[in-house]
Amino acid sequence: MTEPVNSPDAALHRRFEKVWGNLPSWGALAAVNHTSIGLRFMVTGMVFFLIGGLLAMLVRTQLALPGQEILSAGVYNQVFTMHGTVMMFLFAIPVLEGLAMFLVPKMIGARDLVFPRISSLGYYCYLFGGVIIVFSLVLGIAPDAGWFMYTPLSDATHSPGRGPDFWLLGITFVEISAISAGVELVVSILRSRTSGMTLATMPIFCWYILAMALMIVFGFPPLVLASVLLELERAAGMVFFAVQGGGDPLLWQHLFWMFGHPEVYILFLPAAGIVSTLIPVFAGRPLVGYRWIVLSIILIGFISFGLWVHHMFTVGIPQLAQAFFSVASMLVAVPTAIQVFAWLATLWTGKVRYSLPMLWIFGFLFVFVCGGLTGVMLALVPFNWQVHDTHFVVAHMHYVLVGGMLFPLLAGFYYWLPHFSGRMPSERFGRWGFWLTFGGFNLTFLLMHLTGLLGMPRRIYTYEAGLGWDWLNLLSSLGGFVMAIGVALVLVDFVLHFRFGRRAEANPWQADTLEWATTMPASSYNFISLPEIRTRHPLWDNPQLPQTIAAGEHGLADIDHPRRETWGSDAVTGEVRAILHLPSNSWLPLQAALLLALLCISLLLRSYPLALLFTIAAVLVLLRWSWHNGAHPHADPVDEKEPVDPPLHSRTLDGPGRWGMVVTLMANGTLYASLLFGWFYLWTVAPGWAVPQQDSIARWPLLASGVLLTLAVLWYRRLVARLRRSEDLSLQAGLWLVAAIGLGHVVLLLWVLLDASLQPRALAHDSVLMVMLIYLLIHSGLATLLTAMQVVRVRIGYVSRKLPYEPMVLQPFWSYTLGVFWLGYAAFILLPMTFGALAVPLGGQ
Amino acid sequence: MMSPSHPLHLVLGPIIWALWFALMYAVLSVVCQVAPPAASLGALTWLNAKLLVLTLLVTLLLLLPALRCWRASGELAANQRFMARVSAAVYLLSAASTVAVGLPVLVLPPCL
Repeated sequence: MTEPVNSPDAALHRRFEKVWGNLPSWGALAAVNHTSIGLRFMVTGMVFFLIGGLLAMLVRTQLALPGQEILSAGVYNQVFTMHGTVMMFLFAIPVLEGLAMFLVPKMIGARDLVFPRISSLGYYCYLFGGVIIVFSLVLGIAPDAGWFMYTPLSDATHSPGRGPDFWLLGITFVEISAISAGVELVVSILRSRTSGMTLATMPIFCWYILAMALMIVFGFPPLVLASVLLELERAAGMVFFAVQGGGDPLLWQHLFWMFGHPEVYILFLPAAGIVSTLIPVFAGRPLVGYRWIVLSIILIGFISFGLWVHHMFTVGIPQLAQAFFSVASMLVAVPTAIQVFAWLATLWTGKVRYSLPMLWIFGFLFVFVCGGLTGVMLALVPFNWQVHDTHFVVAHMHYVLVGGMLFPLLAGFYYWLPHFSGRMPSERFGRWGFWLTFGGFNLTFLLMHLTGLLGMPRRIYTYEAGLGWDWLNLLSSLGGFVMAIGVALVLVDFVLHFRFGRRAEANPWQADTLEWATTMPASSYNFISLPEIRTRHPLWDNPQLPQTIAAGEHGLADIDHPRRETWGSDAVTGEVRAILHLPSNSWLPLQAALLLALLCISLLLRSYPLALLFTIAAVLVLLRWSWHNGAHPHADPVDEKEPVDPPLHSRTLDGPGRWGMVVTLMANGTLYASLLFGWFYLWTVAPGWAVPQQDSIARWPLLASGVLLTLAVLWYRRLVARLRRSEDLSLQAGLWLVAAIGLGHVVLLLWVLLDASLQPRALAHDSVLMVMLIYLLIHSGLATLLTAMQVVRVRIGYVSRKLPYEPMVLQPFWSYTLGVFWLGYAAFILLPMTFGALAVPLGGQ
Repeated sequence: MMSPSHPLHLVLGPIIWALWFALMYAVLSVVCQVAPPAASLGALTWLNAKLLVLTLLVTLLLLLPALRCWRASGELAANQRFMARVSAAVYLLSAASTVAVGLPVLVLPPCL
């Protein structure tokens, strides 16, 4: 067998592989390495892409001719619902996250992501969640209410089957995966760049991924909350979206689109990152307007959250509010256009090589710009009303998503193929694949704009002849099959190249970024030594870098220990602050994901005792996971020979765990903010909002509970402040006290919940209150439990003034718990008292 | 006061914009639900006036740090200059977005 490209000395490779490699055979299931997990995400995503594509072919077959009955109306509903669901949730997001997980550490000069076990958990949650959702199709009980599951169509009355439950539980499960990957990518990009790599010299792809990951952190929680609420309504009879009892179906639309519109940009940004990475390489010059592109990434990240109501222009909101969203929808075209002009300028001023990846980039530019233009058309309220729920919208959406995501993704796959296999793709196969896909796509969807303008509604399973839609649908279906042949050719090329592809030489595309300095195919550790990087184009400025890295001439080349190490750096300057020691192979993520999958299935079967059992088991596994950290023998026990300058991160006050906690709390806070939004929305807008005649919650015990929580948090902060001053005298006793006060708070809160005379099956008011109390209880309980564990860890010696890290990680969680408690108290108890909501229902009619 | 090259400046402008945007929508929705101004007044209502004032204040709030970051950027080292200049542009475009989204209050009745 030929030597891999950029390969280090064999003996050195073996020593690194011993520390970083996956376990053999079935042990590979315990892998946590970002290269393995990233690849698994991508391969699984492509399998789901095939399933989604087959469903699309069924749709096009059904609509090819008028009056067809190949699929019944019911089956057709399942097919189009699952097509959208699979493509959006099981293909697009995971495959892009997988690519990012695979590439980011290699681009920033790191050996792995900072939370490898979370990568693995995320993958298994995605796999099991995806299988559960798709299995509903096999059973013939798939969801059939459309990929955005609008209420009341998806409620228990109108969809009494299990289909929506599969969707709600499965998607929530999959979203755990997406959010965990989002957290991991944010912290990895900010805290594990190689020495000297500032934010200003970071590869542009990483800016895109940073924005995408943050958007996932803030964008997905509203849908998680909405899914949980709808499932509670369906399974437990609580009221959130049903008008009787004070709910409102429009609340679902708001929560869904608060996720749904940013989602489009969550898909677009990493794809645009691929474009911004590839264009300079094939133009042979640096990207024009790096700073402008960073600016536009940031603006897209924010403005895309201000567009959600443009999906709801027809629901009857005031014109002025529609105008706000209409203008915001047009505004988002500005940063997008900045990028397009930067790409064009780079191409214009460079010497372009028309290699295979560039074909897909040109395809992207054409299709995406067209999709963007119809997007601006749809931002105009009168036009939007006119084409609402027609095939025009379907065509626009596919132009944006296929043009804006699939084309760049395939460009990226072709470009980075040598990293997967060490081989190059077939130019001939690839070009045929591109032109068939490009031609078929435009035949399908360009004409579909016209079908929509002629009035054909989306989601009808058949239509009468003579409405002017016949030939358009026939050609669209023809185009769909041509596109399918093109995609099949591309996939065949991918598969065959592993056997027949020409072996890649070093840096085959003459690229500038650091991932091309790694071994091809990828090794488990990426770099033998970690270089100092002070430029945006390390391989253009120093073409010898791959050789010096492989020769171990840079940092952290020592492997005379069992630790997986990479640099921990300053978020802005990239200066090294610590050595991150990362977890090795672990079965815990698979165990936790399996138990969560069983929990999900139990809930689907409405077997609640079983669900409780699996919940407890999952919590126990996760606590065991958290136990294997820091100075634990399975992690990194204290050793006299361990490095001190820079120190191991678990010996510092501010490692990635703390950052991970804060970013996770941002997601958590978004979920809580969405709950508050739901409360205020129902209170002020829901037509049947009603409140109980008497207080349903004991206010004073709740207040007392809050006082106890405040005391616990203040005491905890005092302990942490002392630890920062290297004082650990009576740390164990102090933590005991915090845990005891926390327990008192939890018991009181539990009593308030059990004592409350809530009627969640009758009143939306009480349903939201109950969810809020349970939310607070979970947080307080967890904070108390984790503090109790810290007590034991102090006793064993895993936490001390020399090992102060873990209490620092837990501190933001306590502060968050305190914050949401008092915010909840103000919003759910004090404000209604102040505004008299208990007596006079606002907005009630 | 935060240094002009502090990374928080990169996102503070859009955060302010987003909060303002949410506030505009929330105030409009709640007022239209609870105490809508008469439709016959067109855009000349107290609600439009308040929304306009809010828009102008927020625009000013965004322009000031834009100016500060831009002025300071010339004296900074490369990495800090990058942060300060991008931040200035982000603030400026956030201010422009505020004006653009707020303009309809001049012409549209609030609750129709």
